[in-house]
Amino acid sequence: MSFSSQIFRSPEYTSFRCNVPLKQIILDDTGTNKGWRVYDTGPRSVETPLVFLHPVSGRAEVFFKQLLTLSSKGYRVISAENPPYWSVTEWCEGFMQLLDHMDIKQVHLFGASLGGFLAQKFVEFSTIVHQPRVVSLFLCNAFTDTSIFKYKDAAVLFWILPAIVLRKMVLSNFSSRETFYDTRIMDSIDFMVELIESLSQADLASRLTINCLNSRVNTSLMRGLKGVTLMDVFDDYALGSPIKEKIYQEYPDAKLAQLKSGGNFPYLSRSDEVNLHLQIHLRKYDGTPYSASDNIPNTE
Amino acid sequence: MATRKKVLLKVIILGDSSVGKTSLMNQYVNKKFTNQYKATIGADFLTKEVMVDDRIVTMQIWDTAGQERFQSLGVAFYRGADCCVLVFDVTSPGSFKSLDGWRDEFLIQASPSDPDHFPFVVLGNKVDLDNRSVSTKRAQQWCQSKNGLPYFETSAKEAVNVEQAFKTIARNALAQESDVELYNEFPDQIKLDGGSTDNRSSGSDNCAC
Ligand SMILES: Nc1nc2c(ncn2[C@@H]2O[C@H](COP(=O)(O)OP(=O)(O)OP(=O)(O)O)[C@@H](O)[C@H]2O)c(=O)[nH]1
Ligand SMILES: [Mg+2]
Repeated sequence: MSFSSQIFRSPEYTSFRCNVPLKQIILDDTGTNKGWRVYDTGPRSVETPLVFLHPVSGRAEVFFKQLLTLSSKGYRVISAENPPYWSVTEWCEGFMQLLDHMDIKQVHLFGASLGGFLAQKFVEFSTIVHQPRVVSLFLCNAFTDTSIFKYKDAAVLFWILPAIVLRKMVLSNFSSRETFYDTRIMDSIDFMVELIESLSQADLASRLTINCLNSRVNTSLMRGLKGVTLMDVFDDYALGSPIKEKIYQEYPDAKLAQLKSGGNFPYLSRSDEVNLHLQIHLRKYDGTPYSASDNIPNTE
Repeated sequence: MATRKKVLLKVIILGDSSVGKTSLMNQYVNKKFTNQYKATIGADFLTKEVMVDDRIVTMQIWDTAGQERFQSLGVAFYRGADCCVLVFDVTSPGSFKSLDGWRDEFLIQASPSDPDHFPFVVLGNKVDLDNRSVSTKRAQQWCQSKNGLPYFETSAKEAVNVEQAFKTIARNALAQESDVELYNEFPDQIKLDGGSTDNRSSGSDNCAC
C-alpha cells in the first residue's frame, strides 16, 4: 500500500520509522496470533513509563509525535496497539500480560477516546485483582460509559460485518476535513483515514464491539488515583458536550488541559501543545520512584 | 436555545522572579496565600470558570518561571494567548524596569496579529508592604506610554484588587478572542451560503473515533 498523506511523507515520520523499531509481542500460546504492536522509546532504565492507548481508528503510530518529543526530553514513552480482543476484561487481562512480559510494574497511561475508556477500566481491573498498576491518567476525548453510543444493539453483530462497512462506521464519525480551515487538522484526518485502511476486519470489529457494548467505569474504585488530567478540545469533535461534562463530574479534582482547537486528534494536529501538557502532567513525578523520566528535578 | 460556542481564554502571567505571579494566580483561583517562596519551574496553569458580562468562559491561566534558567517551554506555550499579564513588585525598582523586556519577549514569542492592540494588563503587586519604591505615578506613566494599558495595584497577600484585576483581564481577553474568532469563522460562513453538505456530527451519540 502506498501512503500519500502529508504526515506519512513528512521527514519527522520518516525519522520515527527509521529510528524507533516496531516490536510484535505475541502473548498467548494458543496460536491465534494475538500480537501487540509496540513502540518503546526513551531510557529503558525508567521503570514507570508513559504508555499510550489509541482510539478505535488508530494504530500505535498515531502517537509518534509524542514518542519523538518526550523521549528526547528523557521520558520513556511506549505506544501499544492491541490485537483483537472482544471484551473489556479480555483486553485488561491482555494488557496486564503485556506489562508483565515487558517487566513493567507501574505505568502512567495516556488514553485517547476508546483508549481512554480502556485506561480507566484497567485502573478498575488492576485494583480489583489487587495489583494496582496505574500511577496517573491522562485522558483525551475520553468517556466513562459506552451507553452514549448508538449501535448498542447491533454491537453483538459487528464480528460478522465486512471490513468496508466497519470502516464506513468509523469514518462517519470523523468531522469532514473540509469543516476545518486548518491544515494541521486536515493532515491529522488524512493520516487517520489512511491508517484505518490498514486495519483488518477483526481489528475493526473487535474495537467497535468493545466501544459499543454496554459498559461503564466505576469511578468509585479510582479514588486512590491522584494524578488525573483531562484533555479536551473546544472546537467540534465527535463527542459532544454532555459527555465532557460527565467526565468532568467523575473527576472533580482533575487538571483540565483544554485546547482551543485541534479537531479529533490533537496529539497529531496540536502535538506541541499536547506534549507541553504531558510534560506538566508528568513533571510532578520527576525524582520520585514513579518518575517516567530519568530527569533530576531542577530544584533549589 | 441557541448554544453559543464555549470559550477558552488563555492568559499568560509574566514578570521577574518572586514578584508574586504564582501568589496572584493562587489567590484568584484558590483564594489561598502562603508566605513561603517556591520558585516556579517551567510553567504551570490553573483553570477557572467565570462570568464575563452574560457569558460563561473558561480562563486558563498560565504561570511562568521568572528565573531564566527555569524557563524551558517553547512557543507552544505562548500560542493563542488572549491576554498577557505583566507583574512587578512595587518594592523592587528592578522588577519594574524589566517590564519592557517581558513585553517584548511576549510579542516576539506569541507574535500576535496586531501587536499594537494586544491586551496587556499591568499589576504592581505587594502594595501591602511599607518599603514601596515604585510610585503609582511612575507605573501609570509607563502604562500610558504603551497605548494606555490598564494598571492595578494589588496585594496577593491581602487579596487587594486581585478580583478586580482578573475581571479586567478576562474581559479584555474575551474581546481579543472574539476578534480572532470573527476572522477565523469567515470561511465557514461562505461555505454555508454555498449550500455544500456539512456532515460534521453535531450529535453526541456516535462512536468515538
Ligand atoms: N507581602 C507580600 N508578599 C507577597 C505578595 N505576593 C507574593 N508575596 C511573596 O513573595 C514571594 C514570591 O512570590 P511568588 O508568587 O512565588 O513569586 P513568583 O513571581 O511566582 O516567582 P517565580 O516563580 O520565581 O517567578 C513569596 O514569598 C510570597 O509569599 C504580596 O502581595 N504581598
Ligand atoms: Mg512562581
